Amino acid sequence: MSMIDYTRELSVLEGKPSLRELDELISKPLETKPNKKFYIALSITLSMMGLLVIGLGLTFYYGIGMWGNNVPVGWAFDIVNFVFWVGIGHAGTLISAILFLFRQKWRTGIARFAEGMTIFAVMTAGLFPLIHVGRPWLAGYLFPYPNQHSLWVNFTSPLLWDVFAVSTYFTVSLIFWYVGLIPDFATLREKTNHKFKKIIYSVFSLGWRFSNRHWQNYEMVYLILAGFATPLVLSVHTIVSFDFAVSIIPGWHTTIFPPYFVAGAVFSGFAMVQNVLIIIRKIFNYEHIITLDTLEKMNKVILLTGSMVGYGYAMEFFIAWYSGVEAESFTFLNRALGPYAWAYWIMITCNVVSPQLFWFKKIRRAIPVMFIIAVFINVGMWFERFVIIVTSLSRDFLPSSWAYYKPTLVDGMILIGSFGFFFTWILLFTKALPVVSMAEVKAVADGAQPSHKEHS
Amino acid sequence: MSSSSPKKRDTQKLSDKKELWKSIKDYNGDNEVIKLKHDEFLEGVTEKFDSENLSGISRRKFLALLSASAALTATACTDYHDKGEIIPYNKRPEEVLPGIANYYASTCNGCDQSCGILIKTREGRPIKVDGNPDHPINRGKICAKGQASILNLYDPERLRHPLTRRKQISWKSADNEIISSLNNAQNSNKEIAIITNSVTSPTTKKILEDFVFKYPSTKIYTRSLVNDEQRKSAWSESYGTMEYPSVKFELAKIILSLDADFLGNEGSYIENMRKYAAKRTVVGKTDFNRLYVAEGRMSATGMMADYRLRISPNQQLEFVYGLINELIKTGSVITSDSTVRAKVGSHSLAKFGEKEKISSLIRDLYNNRGQAIVYAGDTLPKEVHIAVNLLNELLGNTALYDYSSTFKSILEQSSDEEISKLVDSMNSEKIGVVIHFDCNPVYSLPEDYGYKSALKKIKTVISLTEAENESSSEGNYTLPINHPFESWGDAYVRSGVYSLQQPVIEPIYNSRQKESILLTWISGNAESYREDSYHQYLMNNFNSTIYSKKNTFADAKTFWYSALHDGVVLFDKPVVQSKFNSTALVDSRATDNVNGYTVHLTESYFVADGKFANNGWLQEIPHPVSKVTWDNYASISPKLAKQFDVEMNDLIEISVNNKKLILPVLVQPGVHDSAINIELGYGRTVVGDVGKNVGLNAVTLMSKNYSSSPFIYDGASVKKVGGTHKLATTQEHHAIDDTFVKDIHRTRKIIQEGTVEKYKKEPGFLHKEKTELFGITSEHEYTGNKWAMAIDLNKCTSCSVCVSACNVENNIPVVGKDQVERGREMQWMRIDRYYSGTPDDPIVSSQPMLCQHCDNAPCENVCPVNATNHSPDGLNQMVYNRCVGTRYCSNNCPYKVRRYNFYNFRDHFADAYYENNLTSLVHNPEVTVRSRGVMEKCTFCVQRIMEARSNAIRDGKELKGTDVVTACQVACPTTAITFGDANDPDSEIAKLREHNLSYHVLEELNVKPNVTYIAKLRNTRSEEIL
Repeated sequence: MSMIDYTRELSVLEGKPSLRELDELISKPLETKPNKKFYIALSITLSMMGLLVIGLGLTFYYGIGMWGNNVPVGWAFDIVNFVFWVGIGHAGTLISAILFLFRQKWRTGIARFAEGMTIFAVMTAGLFPLIHVGRPWLAGYLFPYPNQHSLWVNFTSPLLWDVFAVSTYFTVSLIFWYVGLIPDFATLREKTNHKFKKIIYSVFSLGWRFSNRHWQNYEMVYLILAGFATPLVLSVHTIVSFDFAVSIIPGWHTTIFPPYFVAGAVFSGFAMVQNVLIIIRKIFNYEHIITLDTLEKMNKVILLTGSMVGYGYAMEFFIAWYSGVEAESFTFLNRALGPYAWAYWIMITCNVVSPQLFWFKKIRRAIPVMFIIAVFINVGMWFERFVIIVTSLSRDFLPSSWAYYKPTLVDGMILIGSFGFFFTWILLFTKALPVVSMAEVKAVADGAQPSHKEHS
Repeated sequence: MSSSSPKKRDTQKLSDKKELWKSIKDYNGDNEVIKLKHDEFLEGVTEKFDSENLSGISRRKFLALLSASAALTATACTDYHDKGEIIPYNKRPEEVLPGIANYYASTCNGCDQSCGILIKTREGRPIKVDGNPDHPINRGKICAKGQASILNLYDPERLRHPLTRRKQISWKSADNEIISSLNNAQNSNKEIAIITNSVTSPTTKKILEDFVFKYPSTKIYTRSLVNDEQRKSAWSESYGTMEYPSVKFELAKIILSLDADFLGNEGSYIENMRKYAAKRTVVGKTDFNRLYVAEGRMSATGMMADYRLRISPNQQLEFVYGLINELIKTGSVITSDSTVRAKVGSHSLAKFGEKEKISSLIRDLYNNRGQAIVYAGDTLPKEVHIAVNLLNELLGNTALYDYSSTFKSILEQSSDEEISKLVDSMNSEKIGVVIHFDCNPVYSLPEDYGYKSALKKIKTVISLTEAENESSSEGNYTLPINHPFESWGDAYVRSGVYSLQQPVIEPIYNSRQKESILLTWISGNAESYREDSYHQYLMNNFNSTIYSKKNTFADAKTFWYSALHDGVVLFDKPVVQSKFNSTALVDSRATDNVNGYTVHLTESYFVADGKFANNGWLQEIPHPVSKVTWDNYASISPKLAKQFDVEMNDLIEISVNNKKLILPVLVQPGVHDSAINIELGYGRTVVGDVGKNVGLNAVTLMSKNYSSSPFIYDGASVKKVGGTHKLATTQEHHAIDDTFVKDIHRTRKIIQEGTVEKYKKEPGFLHKEKTELFGITSEHEYTGNKWAMAIDLNKCTSCSVCVSACNVENNIPVVGKDQVERGREMQWMRIDRYYSGTPDDPIVSSQPMLCQHCDNAPCENVCPVNATNHSPDGLNQMVYNRCVGTRYCSNNCPYKVRRYNFYNFRDHFADAYYENNLTSLVHNPEVTVRSRGVMEKCTFCVQRIMEARSNAIRDGKELKGTDVVTACQVACPTTAITFGDANDPDSEIAKLREHNLSYHVLEELNVKPNVTYIAKLRNTRSEEIL
C-alpha cells in the first residue's frame, strides 16, 4: 500500500483549472444563446406544466371532486406531493448551511445548484397547500391578518404551523441564496458587454467591488445566515411531520415522525440533487468541478440517511407491536399486508434496500448505477408519503368507514405537472444564473488559499 | 270620513282652520303661536344665511358628482346575482307568519298503509314531513319513503301539462276528446277498463263506482306489484274473511318470523317496529321478547334475530308442518283434530339441521303458548299462511291478534284470471278505452300477460300520472295529476281509523286532482271542471259516511274542520272474531326433489315497487343490510358464490321458466345456499333521469304461471356470464371470514354487546374493566345546557328513517352512484353494519353513526382557520363561511362522520338535475345550503336548538333539554334516539348516560364523545353471544 499524506487536503477540483478558466466555464451558459437541446427540454417541461395548468383549471372550476380523494382519505396526492417536494427542498440548505458550518469544502461545487433546487422545490411544494383547499379563493384565511371580525387563525393547528414553517424556510433560503450570488453577480457584471444584462447584474450585485472589506462582511453575513438556516433545515420537516404526528389517526400519531421525516427529506433531497447534477455536469462539462469524489460523498450521505429511514420504518413497526394499541398494530400490519401492500413494498425496496448498495465503493462511484438508485429513492420517498397518508387514512378506526382510494387522471396531471413546474424553473435557472458558485469554487481551487507550503 | 273625496277635504281645511291644530296653545290661539306661524322658517334657521359661506360646488358640479356616484353604485351592484324579486306580504295570507312554520295533518299515499302525516310548511311551501302523533296506528312516525316523498313534489320531471302523444294539449280539449271516446266505447258496447293500484280511499272508490254508473261498460281492475294477497286469501280460507287482524307484537314473548320482514318493509312495519321495540327496552325491567327468524334471504328483520334459521322460501311449508307436528308431539296440551294430524304427521324438522336452535324454538313456542306469535311473510304462499294460522290457533297465540284493528280492503285486488281476461279482451279489441288510474301495469305486470303488446291495440289509452312512466308512454293521453301534497283525499285501511288528506300547496303545475278528472268525465261535460269539485265531493261523502256515524254535537262544518285539523277520525267498530276452518290446510308438497335454486323476489326497501325510482334521496339510502345504493342485485350465499366462482359485482344469469335476467352478484352472509334474493322496484325505463336504468327489473323473472306464490320461483338455474357491474356501497365488503379484519368492531369495542342472561346476572358486566382516562389539559366546563344524544342499539332496526329525515331536514344533496362509489356520500347520519360469527350464520350488529360532538373534538384543534369549534353548550360547530376546505378535520375524525362537498353536488349530480328553481323549494330555509369545498356534518339540528332557545327567551323560561327534538329523533320509529340536556340530572338523557349498558365508541381515545350508545342485549339462552 502506498503512503497517503493525510496532512494534505485533497483538492475538491480536478485538473487544476485556472481561476479564469473557471469563470469562463461557469458563466458560459449565461453568455451563449440557448441551443436546440435547451428548447426541446424546455418544451417538455412546459408541456408537463401545461398539464398542471389544465389539472388545476379543472380542479378550480369543478372542485376537489376531480381528484380521487374521498371521505376517509381526505388527503392523497395533494399532500403526498406537498411533503415530497418539501423533502426535496431539504438538501439545498443542508448542503449550503450545515456543510458550510462543518467546513466541508466539497460542497462548493454543488451548493449553488442545491440551493436553487431548494427554492424551486419549496415553490412547488408551496402550491399544494393552496390548491388542496376546497375553496382556494379563500386561502388567504390561512394567514393571520388583522381584520374587522377580530378573527384569527387557529394557532393550535399544525397546518398553520406549516404555513409559517414553509414560508420562513422559503424566505431564509432565498436570502441565503441571493447573498451567495452577490459576488458572482459582480463577476458577471464585469464580464458582460451586453448593456441590458449589465444593468441587471449591477442592480443585483449591490455595488460589490471585491474589496477586502466586502469579502469580510460577506463572509460574516454568510456565516450568520448559515447558522440561521441550520435549525430551519431540521424544523421545517419536523413541522411538516407534525401534520401527522399531532393527529390521532393510527399510523400518523407517532413520536418518531420528526427525526424520521427530516432524515427522509435529506435522503430524497440528496437523491434529487445527485440526479440532476449528474446531468448538469455532463451537459455543461463541469466534471472537474462537480467531481466523482463529490458524488461519492453525496452517496455516503444518502446511505446514512437511507439507513436512518429504514431504522424509522422498523421502529414504527416495533412500537406498534410494543405499545399494544390494537388500532396501531393493525395499521402497520395493514400497510404490509393490506390492500396497499404494493405501495408499501415499493417503498421498502426503493428506500431501504436500494441505498444499501452504496456500501460498495464501486457502486458509489459508478455514475449510471448511482443515477438509477437515486431515481429509485425518489420514487420510494414519494411512496413513503403515499403509504403514510393514504394507507393510514383508508383504514382507520371504524371498519365501516374504510374505503379504497384510487387517483384520477387529474391527480396524475397535477403530479406530472409539479415536476414540469420544478424542472422549468431549473432549466431557466441554468440559463439565467451561474449554477456553480464562481466565487466559492475559485476559493477552493488550488492555490487560491494562502498556504505556508510551496505551491506544488 | 273615508267617503269624502280629497278635494272636498281641502276645501274643508280652508274654510275651518281650527280643524287642524298642533298643540293646545295653537288651539287656544296663543299669540306666540300666531307669531311663529307668521314666519315661514323657525327662528335661527335663516338668520345666518350667507351665500359666501356655502359650498363652492356649483349646481352643475353637484349634479355631475351625483350622477357619477350613482353610476358607480350601479356598476358595483351589477354582479348582485339574485335577480329574483322580493315581494313583501302587503296582504299577508291568513295564518302565514314569515319565519314561522305551519303544520298540517294529512295522509301519506306512499303505500297502502296510509300513515297519518304532519306536513311542515314555511311561507306556504312544504319542507318536511313527519308522522302525525294523533294517528293511532303510526303514532307520529313514518318510514324513510314517507320522509323523502317530499322530493317527489318538487321533482323537475313531473308532468306540467296534459299531453297527447307527447304534444301539449289543453285540459278542455283533452276532456272533450276523452269524453267522446268514452261515449263511443259505451255506445259501441266496448269495455272501458280502469286499472288502478290498491285503493285506500273510500271516496275514490265511490267515484269509481259513479264512473261505472255513468259508463256501465266500465270494469275496474286493481293490481299492485307488491301486495298482501297471499296473506289475505289464506285468511279468507281460514276464517272466511279478508280482513285480517293486526298483531300485538308488544305483548309477544316469542316471535317467530317466517321470511316476514315485519321490521323492514312489510305490512304496517312502522307500527310493528314500535310494538316490537316495546319489549326491547333496558330502562326499568328487562323484559325482552325473543325473535326467531327463519328465512332464506337476509332481511332487516333477520339482522335483528336472536336466533336465525336459514330456510329457503320453498321449504317454509314443510318447516311449518314439521313445527306443528313436533309441537303436537311435545305435549298433550295442544289439541288438534285428526285431519290435521294426518296432514302434518309425516313431517319432521330433522332435515333442517340446526338441532339446538330448533329445539330451543319448540320449547319456547310450547312454553309461551298464548304469548307467542308465528308470523309469515307476505311473499310466502297462501298455504304457508294457512299453516301458520293453524299453528297460532293450536298454541293459543290468537290472543295476540288485535281484532279491534283489522286491515280493511277497500277494493279487492283483481285475480290473475281477471287480468288475463282483460288482456285477452284487449287483444280481441273488445275494449275501447283503457284508463291507467295512477298506476303502471306495463312495468309491474309479468311479461307473459302480454299487456304491453295488447295495449297497442287499444285506440284510447289514458294515463293519469304524476310523471311519465312505462304505461303512459304507450298510451295517447297522459294527464298530469296532483302530488298527494296538492290533493284532497281520505283513507280507510284499518278498522276504526279514518284519515283525511288535505292539500298544503296549490298545484305547482297545470295538473289536476285525479278524482276531479274522473268527475269531469262523469259529468260528461268538459266545462264542468271546478278546482274544488273533488273537495266538495269529499266533504259530502264525509258528511254522509263519517259525520253521520259519529254522534257529535258539533255541526258538520266544525266537525269537518276539526277532523282536518287532527287528520284522523276514530270510531268504534264491532270486534268480529271468526273461527278457524282447519279444512283449509292443504297437503304439503315435497320439496326435496326440486332441482336448482329458488328465486325470491321482495320489495325494495326504499324505492318500493318502483314508485320512488325518481327520488334521489331514496335511491341513495344504503340498503339496511348490504349497504348498496342505486342498484339491485342477486343476493347469494358465500357458498354459492364460491361454487360459481363469482364475487361481488360479477354478473350472473338467472333463468327460470325460460325467463332470463343478468344481474350483478352480492355475496351476502346468511343467505340460504339455494336461495337467491332479488329486489323488485328497480330497472325502470320510462322515468325521470334519476331513476332511469337504475338496477334491473326483476319483474322480468315473474310469471303469471307461478306455482305457489308470485314472488317465489323454484328450479332456477344460474350461470356465470363474465363481466361485472359495479355496485356502489357505502361500506366495504370484506370477506366475513378474512381473519385479518375479522371482528375488529368487537376488539376495538366499537360494538359492545351482551345477552339478557348475562345482564340479569351481572348488570355492570360492560364496565368491569373500565380504566380511568386522564387528560393533561384542563377541561372546559359546561354550565347551562350541554347537548347530548343516546342511541339504544337494542331498538335500532336499521330502518334508516333517521337518515331520510336528516336528509330532508338538513338539505343533504344527492351525489349519485358514481360519487357513492368513490366514497363521497353526503348523509350526515349513517347506519354501520358489522358481521361476526360465520358466513353461514352471521351475527349482525348495526350502529347509527353521526357526529359525536366530542368534548375534546380532534377535528377542532387541527382546523387552521377555526372553522370548526365548540359552542358553550357542547356542540361541535361548523362555520361554513369560514371553512376553506382543507379536509384536515375529516382526516382527524376517528368516526369519519364529516362530509365534504367535493363538488357543488347539486350542480354535479345528473347535469344539475336538482339545481332548478322548483327543487330549491324543498330546502329547509333554516339550514344553509353548503357550497362546494366546504366540510359539513351533523349539527345536532342546531336550527331546532336555536328555535327552542328563542321560544324559551320569548316566554321567559329556561331552555330545557326536552324542548329540542332533533329530526332523527322525531323520525325514529322505535324511539331508539334520545336527545337532551346532559346537565339536567333529571332528564332522560342524563340517566341514559349513566346507564349500566351505556358506552362510547372509541372511549379510549379520550375524545369524550357526547353520543352514548346503549349496548345491545341479545336474548339468547346462553350468557355469551353465540
